[in-house]
Amino acid sequence: MTQAQLATELGKTRAAVSAWITGRAEPREDAKLKIAEILGTDLASLVTRTADVPTDLPLRWQHRPAHVDGGREYGNVAAFAFDADLSVLAREATQNSLDERLDDTSEPVRVHYMLHELSGEHLDAFLKAVHWGELGRHYEEAASGRQKASRSLRSALDELAADRSLLLLRIDDYNAAGLTGPEYSDGRFAAVVRRTLDSHKASGGRAGGSYGLGKATLWATSRFGLVLINSTLSEPHEGRTQRRVVGRLDLPWHTLDGEEYAGPAWFGEPDTDPERKDVARSWWADEQTVRNLHLERTGDEPGTSFLVVGAYDASGDAETLQEMHDKLVRSLADGFWAAMIGGRDAGALMEARVTTLRNGQVVIPEERVDPHAHHPALSRALQAYLDGGTVSELTAGDQVARAEVPLIVTHLKGKGRARDKGREHPAVLLLTPADDTDEHFNRVVCMRGNRMTITEQRPRDLPLGTMPFQAVLLAGYATGRKGEDVDLAEAFLRASEPPEHDRWDRTEELTTTYERGALSRIKEFRQSIDQAVRSLAVRREVTRTGGPPALRELLVLDGGGTPGGGRRTQSFPTVRNVSAHLEATGAWNVTVTLRLPDAEDPWLLTPVAKFDVRSGGRPTVDWSLLVGSESCRAEGNDIVVEPGVRTAVFTGVTDPATHPVQGGFARLAVDVLKARGGAA
Amino acid sequence: MKSVFPYPTVFGDIDFEVASVTVDGAPLPYAQVSTTERTVALHRAGREHWDRATLRLKARLPEPELAEGPWTDITCVAVLTEKATNARTTTKLTRTPDGDWHGAIDLFKHHHLRRATVTVNVVGTVDGIAGRLIGSPEQVWYVDLRESTPARRREIEIVEVDFRDGPHDWLRPFQESPWIVETSADTPTVYLNTTAVEGLMEVLCVKGGSAAERVLRDMTAGQIAQDTWTAMFHTAISDLDVDEDGTPVMPTGWREAVVRMMLPDVLPGRQLTDALYDINERRTQGFGWSQLQTAIQYAAGRRSRISKKLTSAVRTVDRAEKSVS
Repeated sequence: MTQAQLATELGKTRAAVSAWITGRAEPREDAKLKIAEILGTDLASLVTRTADVPTDLPLRWQHRPAHVDGGREYGNVAAFAFDADLSVLAREATQNSLDERLDDTSEPVRVHYMLHELSGEHLDAFLKAVHWGELGRHYEEAASGRQKASRSLRSALDELAADRSLLLLRIDDYNAAGLTGPEYSDGRFAAVVRRTLDSHKASGGRAGGSYGLGKATLWATSRFGLVLINSTLSEPHEGRTQRRVVGRLDLPWHTLDGEEYAGPAWFGEPDTDPERKDVARSWWADEQTVRNLHLERTGDEPGTSFLVVGAYDASGDAETLQEMHDKLVRSLADGFWAAMIGGRDAGALMEARVTTLRNGQVVIPEERVDPHAHHPALSRALQAYLDGGTVSELTAGDQVARAEVPLIVTHLKGKGRARDKGREHPAVLLLTPADDTDEHFNRVVCMRGNRMTITEQRPRDLPLGTMPFQAVLLAGYATGRKGEDVDLAEAFLRASEPPEHDRWDRTEELTTTYERGALSRIKEFRQSIDQAVRSLAVRREVTRTGGPPALRELLVLDGGGTPGGGRRTQSFPTVRNVSAHLEATGAWNVTVTLRLPDAEDPWLLTPVAKFDVRSGGRPTVDWSLLVGSESCRAEGNDIVVEPGVRTAVFTGVTDPATHPVQGGFARLAVDVLKARGGAA
Repeated sequence: MKSVFPYPTVFGDIDFEVASVTVDGAPLPYAQVSTTERTVALHRAGREHWDRATLRLKARLPEPELAEGPWTDITCVAVLTEKATNARTTTKLTRTPDGDWHGAIDLFKHHHLRRATVTVNVVGTVDGIAGRLIGSPEQVWYVDLRESTPARRREIEIVEVDFRDGPHDWLRPFQESPWIVETSADTPTVYLNTTAVEGLMEVLCVKGGSAAERVLRDMTAGQIAQDTWTAMFHTAISDLDVDEDGTPVMPTGWREAVVRMMLPDVLPGRQLTDALYDINERRTQGFGWSQLQTAIQYAAGRRSRISKKLTSAVRTVDRAEKSVS
């Protein structure tokens, strides 16, 4: 209802109504009564409106009636655009939080993921709070269909009934915009709660997404298609900011008691506007309700909390709480390590934490996601850039080299001039030697916007022997610079991304909005990246005095075994293991394990013990005792092993009288040779 | 040959790397330091005269094990050695609060010849005796003074030179020979004569060419390689150190590589120490020395892939004749 409508119904001017709303005047008592009547509320709450009083309107679920044209949706189409994978959820939901970071602060947006497993009385209390009873029959009906969505719903309901436990995943952001805007028309609230494929992103075009698909992952992650929302607004709506709460349920089309329902349902207060009397709208909840719904936020900083009811990882990788916790931490680190780094020139854009609880008790304590722990080399590269500590040529293993990569931004259609290819934007390439533990290296992580990773490029034509490296390419706003070329480059690159935002390539938007040649500029850009990598990482081509290659390949030292490949099977006995200790007398007591090849004749072997010295001839020590302990026997100073035996163990004790120095002051080496008939 | 210590040593991994290098104060491009090859190449074109290279090292020790173990006064020292010159330099590393050990070690050019070795040793007090080695890394780093590309594996030097009118007087007596092999230096060198056979070097040095040219190139390369391996093996076993009991000790440097690569072909089915002992016996006592020549020739031929090259040569010639007839 608009101010004008209210004025008409009251028989007052619009200006008068406006004056009441802005607080410049107060309506007379009779007007108040009438207003209460029109708005469907009682006088008491109208009078105390300035104070924080909960409305008495009952919370309820409102289901959207089926389309009159008979159209049916068996599930939310947008949700099928992604895999219902926790890592996808972490990527999309966090990207949205990042995009909604408050513009006028240099503070990071703080994201908190909380897994909470409920069972027993905690579960009952929660189900009561969300009016599960009201939903029960709708769920039963929706789950009775034969479609995919119905079948997975069926198994979710069965499991809930059998296990009596429910996993909640709460995603909070702080220092973000919150779900501002009116209930039904354009704004963040409607974009998230009411609409599909509406990307209401107002952060000056810096946003990562542009399709409005990401939020669907929230519903896709819920086995029940149920998400509750509590938002603290950055700009007041209806004069309030705290605890704007609403729930949304995505069910497939179903019938109940002869009525057909489209699927989606909303949890809230019935709208007091007579024209929308069957619509459930968000309400300003009191603290107790929010607590019962597990939607309580700490502090009054703006931002939004999403509660995914019945969260699961559809990929099946993570089943236990610990696995899901770890997967969230890993996904956040993988997707947003760059945004979490702050330095001299620019602060961190976000920070992320993950906590896991069971029935209100902390199971895995809060874990702050540390980019340096997960991606040390990449983090080092970006850190150095933000701190202004890059070099032009690498001279140490922990340095970061920097080069510029030109991107030519084509003019928009109709705005170009002949022979003018476009505006040049210098993107930044950072390169640093890879860390030993890096699994993937020799790649360029390309990012734009608020340091959002778009693609990983593997540079081509890297010569063999290139040192392992990690590289980051910053383009557009990610460079942290300001200027017209930055804005143009950002828009240009975004136009070249498909809905997955995972590469820079041909898209419809690129070809329709930009002049011819845009795709070639993108390709050239990718080639320039490769070229810049080669100039920074590659060891210069060395012209050896080496002589003819045909000859050189035959004259390699340390070339390993015999030419023609294949590991030679050892056809002689080898010492596999030696364990030894010093006896009190100073003698060495040695137990030697031998590995032997198959043979037809018995092996006659002579064990030789020597003191292992650093240079010069090694002094031999005599045995005072030699005993075959496993599959072999001693004969004088020799060991005899029968044919066919593959492993043998013998024990020897040295004669301390033959030690050139005390046994405790030297290393001992044992070798087993073929008996030489007294030569040794 | 496995050796054992008379006191407990560290079981966990000890790891270290060269973080950066400066030569006379100027930083060496990081491209000349390879962590995968674990090699530093110090040579830079245009700068032959330098005095000192400083290597900054970073080591990681198994801290929990060291804390629990029976060792005290643990220090970590860097050791720079080169067997050829018997040079040995050490410096202590210092432990930073984050658990890494850092330090720098100087390499003086005039102490070294070709390839120095850097490693770290963990030293501590065990059973009341101080300064005992309780651990060292699996792999050492090489510091190459003559190379500008850090590569672990070494190649034999090949020099193309004019024997008759070239700069080396001593090559003049060999002026009619297309190549000679010199194994007396610290690296074996093959000298290719650019003037003995007209056009041979051209055929040898290019890639591709006609079928006949390829055959000629392969055969020549194989033959030079066989000569080289034979000569290298003889040199490698010619002057072996022996232990007190007469057992020969494995030679060092390129000689070790050659012996290790060729012995399994020369005396198959024998343990390395055994085989080396046998060879030394035959060389010093004289018996069986002539029989050994056959085996050495066989091993060198295998290294040079002679039979494979001959097979393809025969096929090529056969094919050429068929197409003519």
